[in-house]
Amino acid sequence: MTGRARIPIASGLARREGLGFHSGGFAAAASPARSCYNRAVVPLLRQAWLLARNDLRQELRDLELVLTAAFFTVVVLVMFALAFAALPASAHVLAVPGMLWLGVAFAGALTLTRIFDREREADTLRALLTWPVDRVAIYFGKLLVSLSIVLGCGALLMPALALLFPAAQALVARPLESALLLLLGSLAYCAVGTLFAAGLATASGKNVLISVILYPLTSPALIFALVSTRALLEDHPQFPTYLGQLAAVDAVVVVLGAWLFEPVLLGGARKPAAGPSSRTRSRRGEAT
Amino acid sequence: MKRYIPVALFALAAFVTPYSVNRVFLHTGIERKMGTVQKIFYFHVPLAWIMMALAVTCGIAAMIQLRRQSRLAEATSIAAGELVLITGLGVLITGPIWGHATWGRAWTWDARQVSTGLLWLIFAAFVLLRRYGAGGSDRLAAALAIFGAIDVPIIYYAVKIWKTTHPTTDVVGSLPPQMWNALWPCLIALVAMSIGLLLVRIRQEQGAMALDDAWIAFDERGAGKRGEVGDA
Repeated sequence: MTGRARIPIASGLARREGLGFHSGGFAAAASPARSCYNRAVVPLLRQAWLLARNDLRQELRDLELVLTAAFFTVVVLVMFALAFAALPASAHVLAVPGMLWLGVAFAGALTLTRIFDREREADTLRALLTWPVDRVAIYFGKLLVSLSIVLGCGALLMPALALLFPAAQALVARPLESALLLLLGSLAYCAVGTLFAAGLATASGKNVLISVILYPLTSPALIFALVSTRALLEDHPQFPTYLGQLAAVDAVVVVLGAWLFEPVLLGGARKPAAGPSSRTRSRRGEAT
Repeated sequence: MKRYIPVALFALAAFVTPYSVNRVFLHTGIERKMGTVQKIFYFHVPLAWIMMALAVTCGIAAMIQLRRQSRLAEATSIAAGELVLITGLGVLITGPIWGHATWGRAWTWDARQVSTGLLWLIFAAFVLLRRYGAGGSDRLAAALAIFGAIDVPIIYYAVKIWKTTHPTTDVVGSLPPQMWNALWPCLIALVAMSIGLLLVRIRQEQGAMALDDAWIAFDERGAGKRGEVGDA
């Protein structure tokens, strides 16, 4: 079987999951766009939610990732507080967005290195790929899990920063805007991170490379998030515009991540799938 | 015939480079505000253009590699990615020298400076991943290159709006048209050199892939024969 061969059972699963109602009948007769939505999007979202729920349930049983990520966030926060508390109060408004998003980025990198570890340790990634779901649903499921944990870390960071730095009061005083900002910024970060974490999960023991990849690639989203956070703290009138731009970046990276997920994870028909350098290395390894 | 194309391009570069240096330093006026240091512009700008073109080439080649499993595309993406690193280094060295004379500071967090720096970092990650990634990282590196190529305009725009909230510098003034005329020989020389290097590197990478395949085929055949003997 080639890697490219997709198992077209998404609709089958939909039927099994009792979603067959959505794929025909009144919806199809009503409008083709709605029918397409019901046939493709609803099962996809349901599959993604089922996968995410499974991971989240496992996570809630031992809390390994949640607790380590939360503890790491607190450590990073303490380091930032020690480093920047001595800054004059006027500089805090410039430093707080950096502290917030670097904290999210660090905790996110930690989360993303572990997000496929269960699959790798139990060798269930292959089982997951042969499961009758759309591969994009696996991406969205994992994205949902990593996003939940990163959002949790952000929810810890925001009030703590407001407590430590008076300039960050707006993060608590305007909770809806802050929550939306955190959601959009973290979504861009996790969308890129989940794709590359998935790719590295198939490359044994090279998870360390995720930091090398992640920080340069997510820099545009982080810059937009920084700008928006500063606008929020300063009560800048252009805050909604910056938030909209961040949402546009989110749309680009989520679509790109979903599009590239399958080719990155499975590759194509050519065998062996490894690149020339790794093949050279493996060849040399066999020779010595 | 194909193997002579890089040679012809290198020959063209070797011929045009002294001419461009002669033209830039002896037949073009010295800019009034910046003085002689402005001459670096004739090498800095073409290098930046070539870097951008190579980044886009790398992204497109990576896209073809992922979708069509083309070896030529894979070799092209590797070669272009490495050349982005080299030309980017040239841009990042010449840029601050020019900036120091123009703005009084080598690094001013200008939108173009930051976007070039981040682009360079993305392609440095690409080369690191290609070199040190385990099996299967070729696909990951291809995705990285695609993201990198798409990130370029986003980074530029992001830094631009960031600068809008933090204005610190003014932009260098426009140059008289006769100075642009000295730019073209430099551009031709550098483009010829870059394409020549790209073709040589693609050929090298294709050779390495063919060699690897030959080794694997040899090993598999050897293993097969051993297996037959064992069975017997």
